[in-house]
Amino acid sequence: MTERIHDDELERTLAEVGERLAYPRSTAIAAAVRARIARPRSRWSAIFGRPLAPALVTAALLLLISAFALPDVRSAAAEFLHLRGIDIFPVPSVPATATGAPLPLSGERVTLDEARRRVHFTIRVPAELGAPDDVFVETSGPSERVTLAYRERAGIPQSKQLGIAVLVGEFRGTLEEVLLGKAAGPGTKIEPVSINGGRGFWLEGEPHLFFYREPSGDVRQDTLRLAGNTLVWEQDGVTMRLEAQVTKEQALRIAGTFR
Amino acid sequence: MEGRPLEDPELVERSRHGDQDAYAELVTRYQALAARTAYVITGSEDDAQDAAQEGFVKAYYALDRFRAGAPFRPWLLRIVANEAINRRKARGRRPTVGLSMAMDRPSPDTALSPEGAALASERRERVLAALREMREEDRVVIAYRYFFDLSEAEMAQALDVARGTVKSRLSRAIARLREHMGEETAE
Repeated sequence: MTERIHDDELERTLAEVGERLAYPRSTAIAAAVRARIARPRSRWSAIFGRPLAPALVTAALLLLISAFALPDVRSAAAEFLHLRGIDIFPVPSVPATATGAPLPLSGERVTLDEARRRVHFTIRVPAELGAPDDVFVETSGPSERVTLAYRERAGIPQSKQLGIAVLVGEFRGTLEEVLLGKAAGPGTKIEPVSINGGRGFWLEGEPHLFFYREPSGDVRQDTLRLAGNTLVWEQDGVTMRLEAQVTKEQALRIAGTFR
Repeated sequence: MEGRPLEDPELVERSRHGDQDAYAELVTRYQALAARTAYVITGSEDDAQDAAQEGFVKAYYALDRFRAGAPFRPWLLRIVANEAINRRKARGRRPTVGLSMAMDRPSPDTALSPEGAALASERRERVLAALREMREEDRVVIAYRYFFDLSEAEMAQALDVARGTVKSRLSRAIARLREHMGEETAE
């Protein structure tokens, strides 16, 4: 008999196996599905969907408008077009979270201890910056994520809109240079760096978007909140992200103090 | 679609009304996860791709039954996992599946000594061998938690069980994994 593997060890081994499985390629699925859903999915869409192409309906309505040229008809038609959009479906009702003004920071505001109880990875805090002023945790969405916010820190400018000097994000996921490249505008520089024995990237020049790969293999897009420079790196299976208006040297120094 | 990318609920709503581009966007978003889930269940690359594709198509035609505003991802996983399980059963269930690791690269933990790395690799092989022998229903629970990092809420929806049941399902699956690991070494 072999010895019993400790629970933590077993969990870690399972995560390692999951990362290494010979998963099938999936990029062709979207095209195949697209081809197979070409027939309308309900009677409603059979009437308003493909057979009556949007352009046709629009043209018919425009004919109608010009034929009558009455103000009432015209405004009703305009409203109809507006409501249905050019895409020929009613304006969807979306939950408030999707339509409301973007929250400055997403997630539930909790204490650091509470955040540590809720997520399945180790949350690290930069010793140089001390305890964060606010901690946000998200566990209901596709994956777990923690955000640490620092309102004021000596020598680091504060964002005018958010009143935040440094934002730290921690989540399960991996970094790929190709994906990061998508996030970088023409004015953004990407530089590979080494941090705490792991690999990372320094993004300089106001990148606004951020891409990473979740453990599920899905690519996630995320918005960077501070119009500053960003340092991202992997540490013990967790992706760490530091956003602040600092130099690369400052960022690397702070990153070196995560405990 | 300029500006911000659409959120899942918006894409689902559009798909319900026959917008195939919106649905294609959802497929692109979740095809990797769907194929991986199906692979964990079937252990076959071809079956996994077929099951994922079939799952997406079935989900599309079942959108009327989808509760508006509910998360799409776990709902899709439920359909894909069912499809994969059916496929595996239809093939006349062999006792083990051909699940394999692509390459056993060393653990990212650079602190490991060569002996430590060899031990870790051995542990992975042992765990994988046990996983191959498990019931697919147990294997998928483990995969959701440890491979794909699903939250408890998502797992509950994907498995179609009450949220309070997720923990016991998971601990049962782990217990069975341990049993298989014991049998593995007993002979």
